[in-house]
Amino acid sequence: MSTEMATNKRYRDKQKRKDAFISIFIGFFAFVWIFPILWTVWTSLRPYNEIISYGIFSRPRSLNFDNYVNAVKEMEIAGYLLNSAIVTIPSVILTLFFGSLIAFVVTRYKFKFNLTILLLFTAGNMLPIVLTYIPVFWMFIWVGELFGNRNMFYNNYAGLILVHVAFQVGFAAFVLSSYMKTIPKEISESATIDGANVFRHYWNVILPLLRPALAALSVLMTTWIYNEFFWALVLMSDDSKRPITSALRRLQGQYVTDFNLLAAGAIIAALPTVILFFVLRKQFIAGLTLGSTKG
Amino acid sequence: MSENTNSVSRRSLLKGAAVGGLGLVAGSTIATSSADAATRLKGSTVRWTTRGGGATGDKIAKAVNDAFAKKTGAKVVAQQVNSDDFQNNFAQIMQGSPDDAFGWMAGYRSNHFGEMGLLADLTREINRLKPTLPTSAIKGATSPVSKKPYILPTTYYPWALHYRKSMVKEIGMNPEKIDTWDDFIKLMTLTQKKGLVGYSLGAKGGWEAMGTFDILNARINGYKYHIDLLNGRAKWTDAKTKETFKYFAQLIPFMNENVLDISWDGMRDLLLQKKTGAMMMGSWFANDFKAKSQADYDDLWVVPFPEINPKWGIDSIDAPLDGISVAANGKNVAGGKALAQFWASPEGITEAIKAGDTNIYVSKSFDTSSYDSFNKQKLAVLGSAKNIMFFLDRDARGDFAGPVVGPAIQSFIKKPSDINKILESVQAQWDALPKN
Repeated sequence: MSTEMATNKRYRDKQKRKDAFISIFIGFFAFVWIFPILWTVWTSLRPYNEIISYGIFSRPRSLNFDNYVNAVKEMEIAGYLLNSAIVTIPSVILTLFFGSLIAFVVTRYKFKFNLTILLLFTAGNMLPIVLTYIPVFWMFIWVGELFGNRNMFYNNYAGLILVHVAFQVGFAAFVLSSYMKTIPKEISESATIDGANVFRHYWNVILPLLRPALAALSVLMTTWIYNEFFWALVLMSDDSKRPITSALRRLQGQYVTDFNLLAAGAIIAALPTVILFFVLRKQFIAGLTLGSTKG
Repeated sequence: MSENTNSVSRRSLLKGAAVGGLGLVAGSTIATSSADAATRLKGSTVRWTTRGGGATGDKIAKAVNDAFAKKTGAKVVAQQVNSDDFQNNFAQIMQGSPDDAFGWMAGYRSNHFGEMGLLADLTREINRLKPTLPTSAIKGATSPVSKKPYILPTTYYPWALHYRKSMVKEIGMNPEKIDTWDDFIKLMTLTQKKGLVGYSLGAKGGWEAMGTFDILNARINGYKYHIDLLNGRAKWTDAKTKETFKYFAQLIPFMNENVLDISWDGMRDLLLQKKTGAMMMGSWFANDFKAKSQADYDDLWVVPFPEINPKWGIDSIDAPLDGISVAANGKNVAGGKALAQFWASPEGITEAIKAGDTNIYVSKSFDTSSYDSFNKQKLAVLGSAKNIMFFLDRDARGDFAGPVVGPAIQSFIKKPSDINKILESVQAQWDALPKN
């Protein structure tokens, strides 16, 4: 009896030690991960003048929200947020629409180039965008000039939306096709027997079943497109048409950059996605694990 | 057609200028040209880009553009962009649908794009401004290859030796008299003896230390050799170039240990926090001293880099020249040219200064009487030199300065004894560049 209790106790102690070790391990990495964000918040509360006079690691003489007030004033947030919305919302809707169409065809119908098509779309995703930038730039200019308007795509929301759709649709197709494979084939078969044509099959049968996947994916896509900076920078020559991420660049001077002000601006710009994350946390996590049970 | 006749009449007016008093006709040429512009531009839209500058930049742009609009009846649509982004994507922006006129930089950065056909030829505009511009500025704005100006020069600033007067006094030297190489070495030695940094330098971005190289080379080998070197007419492996690096190596023991880890702002902080004796830098950071306190600002001083070779004295200075360029692909090139000319004219400068511009203008009309003592000294430093250099990364081609010279200086600071190998590599990389 007593020996059994002793073994139990020893086992429990061992478990406890293991738990403690894991907790420390997780705690350490959680800290490493969150440190830059905490540091940004910390920086945003200190005045620039203090940093240049006493150094970055000096003890704070004053902490306040002045940087936030100035950032809001200088960033002209409303206009840039509107630009972000003009670009992000159609991009997400179109990406999901085209992505689901591709996924639908490659999973529900059997033909020779099924896998090739899916691979093609997914592989396109792997290209670094900096490589495609110059060709895309010239394509926009030339296609625009073909129609007599250089700015049909270049320096135009339409072009930016198009680029986002093109670059995100591969991933969307990949994720949605994985998810679609989990929908039983019998549903499609009975729909076909009941006389549903291809579009009806897609629109009335499959699409409603895709809803959880679409919700999850739309949250992910929104975050990605909202945070995107490069395309907006190179394809929009008018600053007034650029999204919120480039408003941050307004806070940087030719020589002098007030990093404290910039930190405050970064936090303001990140706020919408953070709020989105907390509101739609469930979908977000679902999105990250989507299709992971079926390859 | 009408433009042609205009230019003819203007030219004859200019000829007249040579005969009749310069000032009088100068006024009248500018007046006629703007009268022409007014009839031509009325109702058209001109687009303007401000390169950085924050709220002050917007305010200055608005003041000048509004005055232009009022005078000509044209409408100006202005925007501000981030300076680095604009510079890095410049070729694409110019080939896309650029704004008509914008603030830009003289030297290789305008000449190169001008010769590519992306910037408009501003010969007529610069001729109209001739009475108010010093010849050095006109020379600086003109491409040595095509002999055409692609930029109208407006402002510049000196790269020179900065230190704190109080710190120099503390070590028993006269802050007004740091003239020779020996004075300079003495200043650094005495400062270092106090446990501080003798000469602060940053080279994180590669370009910061180019200022020190430029001035050493110009002091030791002269302006012509320096420019020849940067344009391939002299060799990096030449004994003269090696001599420059010998002097550069003398400075290394006085430097902060983290040269490769800090940029210009790290250098500024060392001086701001009274941790360094002297540094070679562009004078743009003075406002940060003012932001800290008036006493700090009053303590800041700037002098020409000391003489090394008496043959050259202090006859050269790095003073990057900025100005206004016009996009060749803009929708309203004529409007852009008129706007650029207005920005560079005495009228435009007056508006900019009224709106809070603290730059130093090259224009002869520029009134400096209201300047504080630091800015007056900046002018004196600029005035001390006969030859204006634009800084290494504007005097040399862009695919050489940043990618080759920058890393070479970094390796030199890391291991000065490798200098022969480093210079051979720089020369080899120059030789490998495609020549056009």
